[in-house]
Amino acid sequence: MSSLKDLERLKAEGMNSLFPSKTKIMVGMATCGLAAGAQEVWQNLHQEVKKRKIDVLVKKTGCIGLCQHEPLVDILKPGYPRITYDRMTPEKVGEVLDDLVKGKFKKAIMARIDQEEFLLDDTRTRYSKGKIPAYITSILPYKRLPFYKKQKRVALRNCGFLDPESIAEYVAKGGYFSLVQVLRGGKPEKVISQIKRSKLRGRGGAGFLAGVKWEVCRNADGDGKYLICNADEGDPGAYMDRSILEGDPHSIIEGMLIGGFAIGADQGYIYVREEYPLAIERLQIALTQAQEEDLLGKNILDSGFDFEIEICRGAGAFVCGEETALIQSIEGNWGEPKPRPPFPAVSGLWGKPTVINNVETWANIPVIIAKGAHWFNGLGTSRSKGTKVFSLVGKVNNIGLVEVPMGISLREIVYEIGGGIPNGRKFKAIQTGGPSGGCIPKNLIDLPVDFDELKKAGSIMGSGGMIVMDDRTCMVDVAKYFLSFLEDESCGKCVPCRVGIRRMREMLEDITSGRGREEDIDYLQQMAEAVKEGSLCGLGKTAPNPVLTTLHYFRDEYEAHIRGKRCPAGVCKPLIIYSIDPENCTGCGVCLRVCPQGAISGRKKKPHKIIPSKCIKCGACFEVCTFGAIVIT
Amino acid sequence: MVKLTIDNQTVEVPEGTTILEAAEKLNIYIPTLCHHESLTPYGGCRLCVVEVTQNGVTDLTSSCTYKVEEGLKVKTTTERVKRVRRLVLELLLVESPEAQIVQDLAMEMGVRRPERLKPRKDDLCILCGRCIRACREVVGVNAIDFAERGYSKKVAAPFYKSSPDCIACGVCFYICPTGAITMREVEKGEKARIPEGEEVTGPARIIYNWKVGLAMKRCKKCGEIIAPEFQLEYLRKKVNLPEDHFDICPSCRE
Repeated sequence: MSSLKDLERLKAEGMNSLFPSKTKIMVGMATCGLAAGAQEVWQNLHQEVKKRKIDVLVKKTGCIGLCQHEPLVDILKPGYPRITYDRMTPEKVGEVLDDLVKGKFKKAIMARIDQEEFLLDDTRTRYSKGKIPAYITSILPYKRLPFYKKQKRVALRNCGFLDPESIAEYVAKGGYFSLVQVLRGGKPEKVISQIKRSKLRGRGGAGFLAGVKWEVCRNADGDGKYLICNADEGDPGAYMDRSILEGDPHSIIEGMLIGGFAIGADQGYIYVREEYPLAIERLQIALTQAQEEDLLGKNILDSGFDFEIEICRGAGAFVCGEETALIQSIEGNWGEPKPRPPFPAVSGLWGKPTVINNVETWANIPVIIAKGAHWFNGLGTSRSKGTKVFSLVGKVNNIGLVEVPMGISLREIVYEIGGGIPNGRKFKAIQTGGPSGGCIPKNLIDLPVDFDELKKAGSIMGSGGMIVMDDRTCMVDVAKYFLSFLEDESCGKCVPCRVGIRRMREMLEDITSGRGREEDIDYLQQMAEAVKEGSLCGLGKTAPNPVLTTLHYFRDEYEAHIRGKRCPAGVCKPLIIYSIDPENCTGCGVCLRVCPQGAISGRKKKPHKIIPSKCIKCGACFEVCTFGAIVIT
Repeated sequence: MVKLTIDNQTVEVPEGTTILEAAEKLNIYIPTLCHHESLTPYGGCRLCVVEVTQNGVTDLTSSCTYKVEEGLKVKTTTERVKRVRRLVLELLLVESPEAQIVQDLAMEMGVRRPERLKPRKDDLCILCGRCIRACREVVGVNAIDFAERGYSKKVAAPFYKSSPDCIACGVCFYICPTGAITMREVEKGEKARIPEGEEVTGPARIIYNWKVGLAMKRCKKCGEIIAPEFQLEYLRKKVNLPEDHFDICPSCRE
């Protein structure tokens, strides 16, 4: 490819593939889909299509966000809107295909999608131009599902809408046109000024202004500059980056190409964890396609700009998401952070000026170029622009990936997008920012979500993990869990992080086992503050956040554990006893059958009893009792 | 030259100087543990933290790694600084209560082991990494490195086996601030066992931590012990000396 004409040719090819003249069946094949059984659905679909000799296209697509409903299968039949089936099984495939052949979709459809949006071109294309059968128009369009209503998909614009293994479909969605625009303009400074004006802040954690970082790097002395995409996502329960890599890998490559041109780098690295095999596979396919189309390599689009991208696989150390440790790892050294300054933008990989941005940041770049800084500025709050992707997990009805404009309230995320708390339980707290973030209590539920507000509340934006907790969550136990994770992931270089986290975790262990002492609260507070101040890198500096925020917002729970030797949420095993309330027990026997220890006795239709010496406090009886007869004290 | 102030005293030092070095020039004492003037700064122990203010932003940083900047304001004894230093020493008193240097520094700063935390008695190593850096940067041998991570981190020869590269020069032993490395000179005719290894007959040198025991070279003239054979061979090859160069000890050569 050497000209705009070639790109237009690819675009036409991609449009044919996006809107084929025959029926297309799309299976959500990101890791979330695969974990729910998409591979079996995919295989069965192929077999059944062959068996029935139906002339259809079967394609893969990425994650559309509603992970709770995976596996998702979409049918795009000419003349019809795109329809989505959720929770597909290999068995249901046959029924759906039968419906397709008969021309009437009887099987319950989750949602319909009327039109495909082209964010970069600002256009929409309707799937069907003709009259739609009434039974289909009665299905809710996906945009009106509560889960999607308040979302604004920018970084996730293509996830679930294109085949991640097709460069043509990416181009059809407006991909690589931003790169053409930038290379034709020929002015790197203009690109930097546009990114600066967009006020895009890095999506990896600290929220540093991307444009400023780029400028520092461009102005730094020395030839040979590097650019890195940080895809070492490691927060428990967070998978924003993985979804983009798996669902839209070309958006990262295009973002990096634009960045490379702007800062004057000719080599980029994608540092991705080995635990993301599918992301690596799709990235590799995308890189090969980009090379074949001469979008990577020498003299890209005849502009004189050279750029190569290499994948560098991390061995799964959380600390390697910290930029200086990441650089060490690429260089083949121990994944240990280094004190800053010097900042990587001045002296980074192999001692050369280096820009590191995370996956989501890079995915935003082509959009900012295509739609302008002003457009991007129109989204979000005064100091946090644009949108942010969150992985909404935990005790919430709609688990999934959501992308919302900055400034949306936690309430909207939890209750509207998330659909509230399951099993009629009460919302207690939300943990943002991954293990080194903090827990925000329910009285702050109207907090607008942006970098500064979260920081004010004692938490951080982090890379976008959001864990919802209900009233059956013990906050001391939560703090202990995150500290155990961080203790395990600390590199061990500096004393405060290596020993401090360990000792704090041990103290929490004591508290949750009933061995806590009155002075522990003050000592924990003191140590947490000093570890925060004294640690070398971001891991240690934020590691005490779970302790500090739970101490701040849920001090009474600590006190209950220490003074009353009880766990108000009924979680910490050494402090709780299970018993059966004879008033409420109907003697149905469900608990008796489910107890793995044979710790429940009783005759049918007579109140049952728990034998304390046999009870292992697993909570199985509590989960199954529908009469509220199991009591935790 | 770069001008900065440390504890309200102005000092001018060449570009590239660290805050720690600049403070030394003013005779301002900053405690250190992992720092050694012959080694690359590490910034791991966090004892040398100071408060720096530049462009209106104040932060804590390790003075051994931070290069001076024009107009930088440094404070070495603020409450924030003391709080971190106290934490580091408290934690080290728990981890390595027997280490003399830790005890001395704690005494100097009036820090005592917190009652709440139980001491671990068995480990003198504070993971400052001086031995590793000395072996790599000064000797150029790279026989040892960190193994594991986090709280399980330790210094070891590869795979915890006997180091194949160690030349028994003993630099690690001499540079260790806490005496965590055990080295022993085995006298002539004496027998001693290498950990997990065979028996050696003196004159030899055993470094227990790296599970090595190497023979000592003796002067062909006077019979005095010169140094470990491997070390002399390493040096001889490095500087390209004749094969018999170390056969005779320096005093006999004169």
